[in-house]
Amino acid sequence: MTHFPVALLPLPVAIPLVVCASMLATAHLLPGRMPDILATVTALAVALLSGVIASQATEGPLVYWFGGWEPRDGVHLGIGFSVDAASGWIAAFIGLLYAVTFVFAWGFFARTHGHFQILMLLFLAAMVGFCFTRDMFNLFVWFEVMSVAVFALTAYHLEESALAGAINFTVVNSLAGFLMLGGIGLIYAQSGTLDFEGIAAAVARGGRDPVVAGAFCLVAAALMIKGAIVPFQFWLADAHTVAPSPVSAIFSGAMVSLGLFGLAKVSALVFGGSDQVHRAVPILLMGLGGATALLGGWMALLQRYLKRLLAFSTISHAGIMLTAIGALSLDGTGGMLVYIVGHGLVKGALFMIAGILLATRASVDEIALRGLGRGIGPAGIAMALAGLLLCGLPIGVLDQGTRLVQGALARGGHGVPLAAGVIGAALTGAAVLRAAGRIFLGLGSDPGDEAGAPSADEREKLNRPLWLMLGPCCVLLAADIGLPAELIEHGAPGAAASFLHRAAAGGLAEGPAWLPWLSVAGAITVAAYGLFRRSLPGFVVKPVRATQSAPTQALEALHSGLTGDYVAWLAVGVAAIAGVLAMA
Amino acid sequence: MTVLPYAVAAWLFGAGLYGIATSRNFIHLVGCLGICQSATYVLLLGLGYRWGGIAPIFYNHPPGTPAVDPVMQALVLTDIVVGATLTALLLVLTIQVHKRGGSLDPETLRPMRGTGTSVTAQGSQDRTGAGSERSAS
Repeated sequence: MTHFPVALLPLPVAIPLVVCASMLATAHLLPGRMPDILATVTALAVALLSGVIASQATEGPLVYWFGGWEPRDGVHLGIGFSVDAASGWIAAFIGLLYAVTFVFAWGFFARTHGHFQILMLLFLAAMVGFCFTRDMFNLFVWFEVMSVAVFALTAYHLEESALAGAINFTVVNSLAGFLMLGGIGLIYAQSGTLDFEGIAAAVARGGRDPVVAGAFCLVAAALMIKGAIVPFQFWLADAHTVAPSPVSAIFSGAMVSLGLFGLAKVSALVFGGSDQVHRAVPILLMGLGGATALLGGWMALLQRYLKRLLAFSTISHAGIMLTAIGALSLDGTGGMLVYIVGHGLVKGALFMIAGILLATRASVDEIALRGLGRGIGPAGIAMALAGLLLCGLPIGVLDQGTRLVQGALARGGHGVPLAAGVIGAALTGAAVLRAAGRIFLGLGSDPGDEAGAPSADEREKLNRPLWLMLGPCCVLLAADIGLPAELIEHGAPGAAASFLHRAAAGGLAEGPAWLPWLSVAGAITVAAYGLFRRSLPGFVVKPVRATQSAPTQALEALHSGLTGDYVAWLAVGVAAIAGVLAMA
Repeated sequence: MTVLPYAVAAWLFGAGLYGIATSRNFIHLVGCLGICQSATYVLLLGLGYRWGGIAPIFYNHPPGTPAVDPVMQALVLTDIVVGATLTALLLVLTIQVHKRGGSLDPETLRPMRGTGTSVTAQGSQDRTGAGSERSAS
């Protein structure tokens, strides 16, 4: 073991909490830019500390017991943090994303006495705590802290749309919290402990047990609600659309994937010993993940409101991550971890571009903005690049993640989810490229089915120069492209192994090199179809339009914006998970 | 061990879900969410209960006296705090909704839909002239 002082482990959680509390107390005294500076520095400190912790955790997880309550004779009374390399790196990535987002939001929320930064720091502390904890109930607490902070952030604008989106988000995610707590109660009743390792040992001893399966069903449903997996995805499209753009960048870049990160951790470390769960997980996650990837991609293509388009793209990519978890292998886990980072960087940059359009052009409606992006060309280049990266341009972190995920799926013989992931990525990339072409090049005079998609009036204050908004966005894209490939090739297998508490076993499988190109080609074709529909001969356009319009309207009607409908779908989803578990 | 608390918990959760799914009033909806949450209280207290156990306070009982599980009670306490926060937040949002729209019916308040959309579409047509193209196509 290293001689790393484990007493430092709570710091990445404690520092933002302390800063946010002291900022709350002194907010009215702080001069103008102080909250921005404080928040950025805090986020950087969290990133740095988490990075140091992660680099020290390569030989095995670092463990810290609060108040020195170490387990004795197999009895776990204390609450602990356990940081493996993967959790540490993910926390470092989250800290970095926050720092960049704080720079992007520089002065944006100037007249709010730092409340935006306070909520964001609380959110950051909760996310890092969620990564680090080794206690089921503690996991729930961070889950809820995260939720409460984001509910308030979503409703920040206090406009009708924002309120409706925030209420949907709050109701659905509160139900997720209740399900999770119920599941935790069940597993505690069965194992008599809340510690991950203690529960895992009890689960492995127990054999087939309906209580364990029930607990997994409830906890997994809760985390999938957070991860916006079909049929729980409805809240995300509403919440991401109405939240301020810096908040949406964090939502899409980190929060959604963190739900899936938690699911991967819980299914491997806590319930991994149950044969029933082990049999059900691949079927469940592959099926739901594939469906999510396809539905998200298709819905993204049908949108005209850029933030809503990006929200559906996030849903699609969450589906791809879920299939990677479903592979239940070292390859899949490594792929998922790299994918989370790559996707977070690219999606964060895209939401920042949406924010730039909101500030400089007072709209993010693709059709209304046609050709109006000409004055801000660099943003257009960044958006096109991000679109290409999103669909799988073979360069950068996201591409490495994609290839690892595809390799894991190919090695496990999961052809259908693999194809669903390729199609989903192509569709979301196509949607972003089409929007970029329309806004910045003025192409695509025929609005097609997108014209029927919902839109709204929204604008954000233009109180900072373009370079200050574009800079953070370029930093994220540069980080995605510029991070040395060897670093990830060497780091990912070790991180995945330490995440799963297994021995590292050489390199990870990579998918075929031509597969990403297939996604890119598909994305460019679909985007070109969307932009040049009018110039195409009728025998190409007519059949597509005839077959597309009806299902399109049906899908859009399904995303009704009504809490009641979402809750009904939630019940269906939980029943489906329970059904698969019962049959496994 | 009896199934009654679990049956009650499941029934409460189902009833709450049905209430939310069919609600036409935000305050009613918040109440139904509270019912869903009370299902978790019943479940957790039921799981922690020991027949013949005392309350887990050992002030005038010797250690080792059978007691109900204090961990579950701690979970329920935390859950109550979460519930209070959520209810407060949702009611604040409800007040804001009523201030802006004058209605508490979820059907009249949909994100990105309803009255706001058509106004926006009109506005965007004026701005770019996309409307004439749309009608032509």
